[in-house]
Amino acid sequence: MIVQATHTVLFYLIAALALVMALSVVFSRKLLRAAIALMGVLALTAGLYILLGAEFLAGVQVLVYVGGIVVLIVFAIMLTRSSDLLEDQPTLPRALLGAFVGLVFLVMSSAVFFSSPFQADTSGAQVTDDTVAIGRSLLDYGPKGYVLPFEIISLLLLAAAIGGIVIARKIPAPSQPFTSGGDLPGEADFTQPRSQREEA
Amino acid sequence: MASVPMEHALVLAAVLFALGLAGLLVRRNIIFMLMCLEIMFNAAGLAFVAAGARWAQADGQVMFMMILTVAAAEVAVGLALLLGFYHHFKTLDADAAEGMRG
Repeated sequence: MIVQATHTVLFYLIAALALVMALSVVFSRKLLRAAIALMGVLALTAGLYILLGAEFLAGVQVLVYVGGIVVLIVFAIMLTRSSDLLEDQPTLPRALLGAFVGLVFLVMSSAVFFSSPFQADTSGAQVTDDTVAIGRSLLDYGPKGYVLPFEIISLLLLAAAIGGIVIARKIPAPSQPFTSGGDLPGEADFTQPRSQREEA
Repeated sequence: MASVPMEHALVLAAVLFALGLAGLLVRRNIIFMLMCLEIMFNAAGLAFVAAGARWAQADGQVMFMMILTVAAAEVAVGLALLLGFYHHFKTLDADAAEGMRG
């Protein structure tokens, strides 16, 4: 009983903290501060996964999101010297539009959510917290298996990794995106070999 | 684990998603937009895991793995595009790329 109450209190505490962190990602004007707040949101979500009985996913969340994606974003912040490119205050129509769309989405999704009957209540069932079930259903080619999405998503990740390398290459080939034959001021250097550029 | 009510977890996911959506629309800096996208991915994953825990099925956790993979792929391509954008336009303002050029 006490354990349950503690879990409930922890859930609301983590939820409130995650909301505050997400608000500061959305409203902060400083990039690094927003990145740290994003890390907080993701780590707190990992805490929620533990409360929901998905310890493996909590570990994966910390490894991939906190350890991978946030670090990549911090790299991007540092590579672009964007701390001196502070963005100005959003214009009023833009802020109103964003708030309006967000609110409409929230209202509509909660309307759908609260009006749909979630009847299949299996309150006595055990939570599948064991990793074996995930692995089995990822590689199961039966009617409830996910082997085809698993293979497709592996290919997608490979393609994305290769695409990222191709896009981020220093010297794009002449027909690549972000080049237009070298007649834009910013890219004149990129179509020539490294030794012939005026300034690096 | 019945101590976490699924309804409240789903509402939390919806609020997080709406926050990310609003931030994505309001922001002009591309890095901020990417961060708001990550919040939205995270909210979607949270909804899947909460529902999967309620019905005691592994499907929710499997879908979370899919979302995680898509988020990783998105951030890899997105950051590469961001660096190209920055080298091209010398700014991170998304409005700098409003014109098309054949």
